[in-house]
Amino acid sequence: MPVPDPPPLSRRAFLARIGVLGAALGGGGLLARSVIAPADAATNPLLPTTVDLIRPVLAALARDTLNGLTVFAMPGPDPYSRTQGTPSSTPGAIEAGATDFIINSLDNFVPFPDAIAQPVGAALVTGLADSGIALPGLEVLPVELRRLDRALAAYLQSDEALPLSFPIAGLLNLMATQVNPLAVNGPHLSPFARLSYAEKAKAFELIERTDSDLVALLDVQFPEPLKASVSGLLKFVGGALIEFATFGAYGESAVYDKVSRTLRARPIGWSHTGYQPHGPVEGWDDFIGYYQGRQKVSD
Amino acid sequence: MRDVIVVGAGGGGPVVAKELAAQGLDVLLLEAGPRHANPRDEWTTFEDDANNPLTGYLRWGPSDRSKPAWFREWPQNSFVWQLSGVGGTTQHFYGNYPRAYPGVFEGYDGADKNGYDVDHRFPFTYGELVPYFEWVEATMPVMTAAMGHKEQTFFRGAETLGLPVQTTKTTHRPSYRPQENAILQPGGTAGKTASSELLVYPKATGCTFCGYCFQGCMRPNGAPRNQFAKRSTDNSYVPMALTANVWARGGKPIELITDAFVTRVHTEKRHGVLTATGVTWLSDGTEHREDARVVVMSGGCTENPRLWMNSGLPNPNGWVGRGYTDHFFDWVFGVFDDYTGNPKGVGSSARLDYPPYGGLENVGLPPALAAFAGTLSDSGIRGQYKNGRGQTGPWDGPAGRVMGPELKEVLSHGLDRLLSVLVITDDDVEAQNRVTLSALPADENGPIPKVTFKQRKRTARTLRNREFMARKAAELLRGAGAKKVYRIDWAPLILHVQSSMRMGSSERNSVLDARGETRAVKGLFVADNSALSNGLGGPNPTLTSQALATRTAEKIFSTYFGGDPWVRSSSPVVSTDPRISVRLGQLGL
Repeated sequence: MPVPDPPPLSRRAFLARIGVLGAALGGGGLLARSVIAPADAATNPLLPTTVDLIRPVLAALARDTLNGLTVFAMPGPDPYSRTQGTPSSTPGAIEAGATDFIINSLDNFVPFPDAIAQPVGAALVTGLADSGIALPGLEVLPVELRRLDRALAAYLQSDEALPLSFPIAGLLNLMATQVNPLAVNGPHLSPFARLSYAEKAKAFELIERTDSDLVALLDVQFPEPLKASVSGLLKFVGGALIEFATFGAYGESAVYDKVSRTLRARPIGWSHTGYQPHGPVEGWDDFIGYYQGRQKVSD
Repeated sequence: MRDVIVVGAGGGGPVVAKELAAQGLDVLLLEAGPRHANPRDEWTTFEDDANNPLTGYLRWGPSDRSKPAWFREWPQNSFVWQLSGVGGTTQHFYGNYPRAYPGVFEGYDGADKNGYDVDHRFPFTYGELVPYFEWVEATMPVMTAAMGHKEQTFFRGAETLGLPVQTTKTTHRPSYRPQENAILQPGGTAGKTASSELLVYPKATGCTFCGYCFQGCMRPNGAPRNQFAKRSTDNSYVPMALTANVWARGGKPIELITDAFVTRVHTEKRHGVLTATGVTWLSDGTEHREDARVVVMSGGCTENPRLWMNSGLPNPNGWVGRGYTDHFFDWVFGVFDDYTGNPKGVGSSARLDYPPYGGLENVGLPPALAAFAGTLSDSGIRGQYKNGRGQTGPWDGPAGRVMGPELKEVLSHGLDRLLSVLVITDDDVEAQNRVTLSALPADENGPIPKVTFKQRKRTARTLRNREFMARKAAELLRGAGAKKVYRIDWAPLILHVQSSMRMGSSERNSVLDARGETRAVKGLFVADNSALSNGLGGPNPTLTSQALATRTAEKIFSTYFGGDPWVRSSSPVVSTDPRISVRLGQLGL
């Protein structure tokens, strides 16, 4: 059986830019050797399938990318805030559990219908990056890359629901490497998390630019009439990611006990802002009268 | 066969239901979401638990919170804040009940008459609506807002602008005042203590200054449902509709069915005239159908057009879903050295009206919503990028998101040393701002709506009004002593919704005739904010919408049931009436 051609450089660049290449094979090196050397897997029925092996890689990549997002909303003393160049001595989004908040929201509560998920998955399987950006660190062995790509394709084409956090992370990472191609390598797993604060802002500027066709920039093929909808949706997503990240960072979700409907600890956002220092109240002694003493008006 | 089926138990539907129940009609009220019958067991005071649009108990989605919310397409950076559940968006509103500006009505002859949206006036006079304003004001009841420190701070700023204080219900000129709001004034211990033991009904009555308007009102603790301070329709009109036999002579209690999503309005030709005959709704995946002599659509500005289109009803002039107005809000806030009382007390108890430009009101918010409000922008991120905008003016630096390290610094200065001002624009009715059906997949209730707002391409008058009011907001905050003032330049945050099924005098650009009946289908009425002819000049829409719904109820009664109007000839019962409380208790409601 002839060995298929290795994926073209543009496919390699795409995988690098959405972060999968680095997380799986590069500095992250999260992908089990059995995927890279499938001969072992093929002869050992006890080893998990490639889908099972790539799933945690993608989940780790999404989490890492979204750590980069939430510290953009509320920096703290964590490594992501340091990489971003805005460390803070007081707790931030990581301590406030904002990344869990975003992942849970995206994966479990944003309705992500198949009619959108399938083209998104297909786009990730076939996506190319021929944007003329010189990317460093693409010297992965073609045979390894091909197998990684096949594992990704197997996952994306399986019947499993695609968690929305992965394509969102892919979007942020694509934009990150547009802003700074060097971000394909470095600390953390994801290109977006490697950006400075100003570079992250530039990535959002690309997403938000109302006169650009982001779908075209992404080189993703959507059938009409979905293409126009996806283009508009991405502009909404750009804003929503920022707003949701800040809402999550300053809210109580990380310390809220759904069963007792009480707080396990004081939320980070409450401590920073001084909100209700003794917890929830029935009322406040803030009534100081009626303006100019007037309690009633009429025509 | 019912007399009347009302679709939607939000701000408008319960008004029609209650008024017609009082006349003895057989009324079925259908609501897509839950009725929160026991808020003390179902609600908290926490922002994520309450207001998360995906998972909160006040969200746009099914009652079962483990299921996803109902997705709606917004092809721009924006946020359309719909709520399901009895009360609709009045569950999270601030209870502000200003009257529409007289200049948005036909026949207005003030000196500024050409300054309004002159092509889209109400098809009758302001005077025609006054008895209905008064009726709703007495029913809720609407009162002059009590003052806390954030209002005191707002007034301190307003006093520097050279404007008079408004001491009437009607707004005649640029002026400022405490809100007229549907919040019971504090009585007893309310507003005077933070001690939970003392804040129990009836030791405390009315508003306890808890600051949780946006999380739903269930205070004072221990009060009957119809004595809660905030007069959302789940606390006022719905309790009245459910108990109509005890407070109205000949009244007949409505039937309320929740978790009932109406998917279709049925019609047939009668004597050559297309006429409404009933509705189909889905409940737990099962279809139900009932017939009625009159159907009233009260599902809101986004869902009414969707229901219309999914029912295949005619749209000869193309105006179903068009002309959506939203007051094109903006957000300006100041950082103070001194205590401002934000976020205690009613969410917003002070306002400034500026016909024919719009208005301002103060808004108190808890931390996560304050962070959300500071990062929803069409102007990029301050100091980083402007997204082609980033206006400059009497605020500090360019408009844009306050983000990351800057947001943390601002909020860590203390939430109660901030004062936020909502900029309300008198915005024009425009055909391009509209609801259509989305190309994205349908949900279990049918094809979903798409809400398009071309915020950068609005009329010159709308854009000018917004800039004018944003400057006034910054000047007010400076006058109040703010050390720093930020303008966010909000992306469309669609909370005040109006006019997507508008009533008008012209057949060319309206869906409803001057009686609130649809031009295309007889026996089909619209009674909620979508029926409004325009954005009212900027005043918060609920009072005008409910006044119009009251008038529409009279038109239904006189046109289809041979009855007489009652508003000019009788007195309303107040929604806090103890007979209602007692009956609710007997019914276990």
